[in-house]
Amino acid sequence: MKIVLDWLKDYVDIDRPLEEICDLLTEAGLECQIIKSGPAVPEGIVIGEILSVQPHPDADKLSVCLVNVGLDESLQIVCGAPNVAQGQKVPVATVGTALTPEFTIKKAKLRGVASNGMICAEDELGLSDDHSGIMILDPSYEIGKDLNSYLNSQIVLDIDLTANRPDCMSHIGVAREVAALTGKTLHIPEARPKEKGPEIHSMTNVNILAPDGCPRYTARLIKNVKIGPSPKWLKDRIEAIGLRPVNNVVDASNYVLHETGHPLHTFDFDELAGQKIVVRYAGEKETFETLDHKVRDLSKDILLICDAEKPVALAGIMGGLHSEISDNTVNVLIESAYFNPVTIRKGSKQQFLSTDSSKRFERGCDPNVNIVYAQNRLAELILDVAGGELAKGMIDVYPNVIKPLKVTMRFAHLKRITALDISPQICKKIFEDLQMEVLSMSDSAITVSVPTFRPDLEREIDLIEEVLRIYGLNKVKGNSHLEFSISESFDELNPFLNRMRELMMGHGFHEAISNSLISGDMAHNNLWGYEPVSLMNPLSGEMDHLRSDLIQPLIHNLKINAARKRRQIRLFEMGRIMAKDLSQDTHAREYLNLGLLTCSDLWDLHWTSAPVPADFFYVKGILYNILDHLGIKGVTLKDITAENDSYEILMNILTDKKVIGKIGEFKPALFEKLQLEYPVVIMEINLDSLFVLKKPVIKYEQVSQFPSVMRDISIIVDKTMNSETLMKEIYLNGSKFLKDVVVYDQYLDDDKLTQEKKALSFRLQFQSVERTLKDQEIDRIMEKIFNSLIRKYGAQFR
Amino acid sequence: MTLFKEINNVRDQFNADLERISDLKNCEELKNRYLGRKGFVSKLFSGIGSVNPEERKDVGSALNSLKEELQNKILSAMNNLSGKTEQSRYRDYTLPGFPLFKGTRHPLTQAIDEMLSIFSRLGFDIAYGPEIETDWFNFSSLNLPENHPARDMQDTFYVDDKIMLRTHTSPVQTRYMTQHKPPVRIVAPGRVYRNEAISSRSYCMFHQIEGLYVDKNVSFADLRGTLELFCKMYFGPNARIKFRTSFFPFTEPSAEVDVSCFLCSGKGCRVCKYTGWLEIMGCGMVDPNVFKAVGYDPEEVTGYAFGLGVDRSVMQKLDIHDIRILFDNDIDFLEQF
Repeated sequence: MKIVLDWLKDYVDIDRPLEEICDLLTEAGLECQIIKSGPAVPEGIVIGEILSVQPHPDADKLSVCLVNVGLDESLQIVCGAPNVAQGQKVPVATVGTALTPEFTIKKAKLRGVASNGMICAEDELGLSDDHSGIMILDPSYEIGKDLNSYLNSQIVLDIDLTANRPDCMSHIGVAREVAALTGKTLHIPEARPKEKGPEIHSMTNVNILAPDGCPRYTARLIKNVKIGPSPKWLKDRIEAIGLRPVNNVVDASNYVLHETGHPLHTFDFDELAGQKIVVRYAGEKETFETLDHKVRDLSKDILLICDAEKPVALAGIMGGLHSEISDNTVNVLIESAYFNPVTIRKGSKQQFLSTDSSKRFERGCDPNVNIVYAQNRLAELILDVAGGELAKGMIDVYPNVIKPLKVTMRFAHLKRITALDISPQICKKIFEDLQMEVLSMSDSAITVSVPTFRPDLEREIDLIEEVLRIYGLNKVKGNSHLEFSISESFDELNPFLNRMRELMMGHGFHEAISNSLISGDMAHNNLWGYEPVSLMNPLSGEMDHLRSDLIQPLIHNLKINAARKRRQIRLFEMGRIMAKDLSQDTHAREYLNLGLLTCSDLWDLHWTSAPVPADFFYVKGILYNILDHLGIKGVTLKDITAENDSYEILMNILTDKKVIGKIGEFKPALFEKLQLEYPVVIMEINLDSLFVLKKPVIKYEQVSQFPSVMRDISIIVDKTMNSETLMKEIYLNGSKFLKDVVVYDQYLDDDKLTQEKKALSFRLQFQSVERTLKDQEIDRIMEKIFNSLIRKYGAQFR
Repeated sequence: MTLFKEINNVRDQFNADLERISDLKNCEELKNRYLGRKGFVSKLFSGIGSVNPEERKDVGSALNSLKEELQNKILSAMNNLSGKTEQSRYRDYTLPGFPLFKGTRHPLTQAIDEMLSIFSRLGFDIAYGPEIETDWFNFSSLNLPENHPARDMQDTFYVDDKIMLRTHTSPVQTRYMTQHKPPVRIVAPGRVYRNEAISSRSYCMFHQIEGLYVDKNVSFADLRGTLELFCKMYFGPNARIKFRTSFFPFTEPSAEVDVSCFLCSGKGCRVCKYTGWLEIMGCGMVDPNVFKAVGYDPEEVTGYAFGLGVDRSVMQKLDIHDIRILFDNDIDFLEQF
């Protein structure tokens, strides 16, 4: 919102630096910035007088001028304009002036004649598109002065208001704040328009059929106005707040809106059928053309201002095309009404139409004082700028009076909240400066009547904020001695999540954070078979669902990286995924998951060893590493590749038959277009489950003082025989001394093997905590293992 | 034979032997033979007792200079030999070490974690809430009734009429308070969503940390003290803060908090747009209507709340000008942290 400094000064004296006022307003909740508005030219353009004009010796179209710019010596300037003449006052760009960032005036020679500056046309100054000739200035302009001092550029405060302060959406409103903050008096001009002619009641009437939507409606009537352009002062102010001057009546109406904050509407009285006003809600399927030339479909909760036959305005939002003030208007009806904020808000939202007027009504205007003041101010101003006769009296329909609230503030509570000792006298002064009426005051409390222009002040706490923000928010000093009750619960999730992040980091992965909003295709394609949650009002079709797994976003990240030819892509993300679940209050269940994706080597290119691509078994290793770190045992994998076309291998990660994760390697064909160097391997695991399953305390197992013994077995078995089964069998027969079994080799296509067979090599580690194991006892155990492998699985020894 | 002659003989013999050594081992032997405890030089020294007293001084000094000469020669021979050995066994230790992958944490989670750990030190517990929220928790319970203009402050993604993506972490306040009796002292980190077009300055998703403290007599001065402490711990010991009155329906009084720019300490620079200050969070005293909504008695308890935008503060700290880079997950970006 733009507040013009000169205009503001009509209502309050400002004798402090503007920056200070700006800071005070900002601290008090009116975020304020100083800007300039209106026409302005670059620095360095001065008023010059042309002393003489001579033809250029070598160019027909150029003249050589001597120009007085208020310096000791006149400047010789070569000029090409046809209209240059002796005695003119003209804008001169002196040497060093930057007309545009690329064009700075320098000393120059034009066809051999020195030129020390430039006489400018309007377009060169950025004032208009006119390039017909140099700009001729008013003869009264003083030679040597900055041209800007003659242009109507204004200092403007650009104020960013919060939604609770409709009272400040005007010059008087801001002036009230400035007055309260600087201890100055607020001067509100009187508004006593001169009435003349017959009674208004004899000429028109107002009928409110919707008193809930329109609690009050006032009208005045001015006859025989003369529509025309506004006087300069009015135009200047209208332009300074960023509006376009239209005509004297419309400009006056806008002026009073920005002066008082109360939206007004002016009707061409002769266009009102039956010369009356009816306020009612729209009927079903009713349409109406607003003055922006749009025909609007209305619904039952849109409030309308109508004449005897038809709508003439969307109440509080926008006028109609047919009753607007035109050049032919003679008689003007002024509306100053109060509309229900909720009604206007609904209408504005439904019509996607937000105006200066609707913004104020939906935040709350003043139904009691300002409504009448604005009415009178506008009547007065129209008489002043457009002439005419104001009918006697004012129509005022106000069936149910809205009374100002009485609110009490206890000083003890003020102190409890602010920790400040603010005396009752200071509180009283603050309230009075803000135009509240102090009804009573005791040692312990103060009761005020809150003017109806402050709909945000309803409760004690609201008054406390008023005192605090005017007294000075930053006068509250931070307690250096903090005393607090410590919460009895202590979050364990975040430390767990950090531990997981560190584990992933230790494995050389980069943490990703992906947009949770993805396309429906991606969301439906989730690993878990969840029904995704969709949005009613998405930004685009690419982002109309919430993710139901982390793999889809990770693949999206992979594509971005692959397109940029990044190598060694190893990403993980920890975050929520969502699935529809009507049993929840939010109709969705959120799972906290860890997802990871690799498309990389096990290590980067190096001179010691050739890189090995990371495959399914690499990620499987990470899985078991994580589980081991968390002390989680008994996790199994189940092959579900058959359920999903996209995967070379896909497995469920299970604990007690509950699926807690998925691990898999994609079919390379899926990413053919990306020309990847490595397989794409993924894993997603539910962190909520791991958090529950993890061992709270890892207990110490006795460490053996005695050396361990290694034994290797190499066997030949059927190709379809799973190593896991064989390992279990080895453990089963390995006695309590078998500590560890590792598969260290696998031959599939050895010359010595038939097609159906494979060779596996295991390394077994034996150890006792009590003594050094003897070779003979290990031999016996090994024999038992050999025998069981032969007997149960037909193993042969190599 | 006089001792002088013997000294010269030993010197000649040594020089001849020195010619013949080829490696450090020989050199070591040579050193022991001549300079060891039972070496030739020691033997010469032990003969000094039999020299007549007039000559003793000269013999002594000749012996000392022999010893010194031999020591120097052996040392320089050793140096030469060891140099030769290194060349023959040369290994290029400037070759790069094994290329282990460096894992990294996203700068946003690093920042969130740092902030959470500071608040943990200040006695706050961590609480969580869903990202998909009900109208009641996201708006109504926070003193944002239907048709309240302040609902426009937050462009909302709706799942249906009554369910939406949370627009702030504030609903965790009311969720937590409906389940816990006061005192309450929590921070709640998480993702929030706004229906705003994606550009370099705004994204439809970002991260907040919510803070809430409710107890018998919590004041604005407690709030300020806590936030001052937080800013000093996070931005550095010279950080200062200032408050600006603001409006949030769920706090009254409400304020925006500015912290002195970490880069220029308030002098003005590009990061703070030459204001010297950075806007970091909104805060205020919990509105009595919020207490009523969760069944707390506003006469019994008071409290403060704050909400901190993580992404913007990370962008300022890292001098990032396009927020989208935070969510592209380009590894060239991620691996820098």
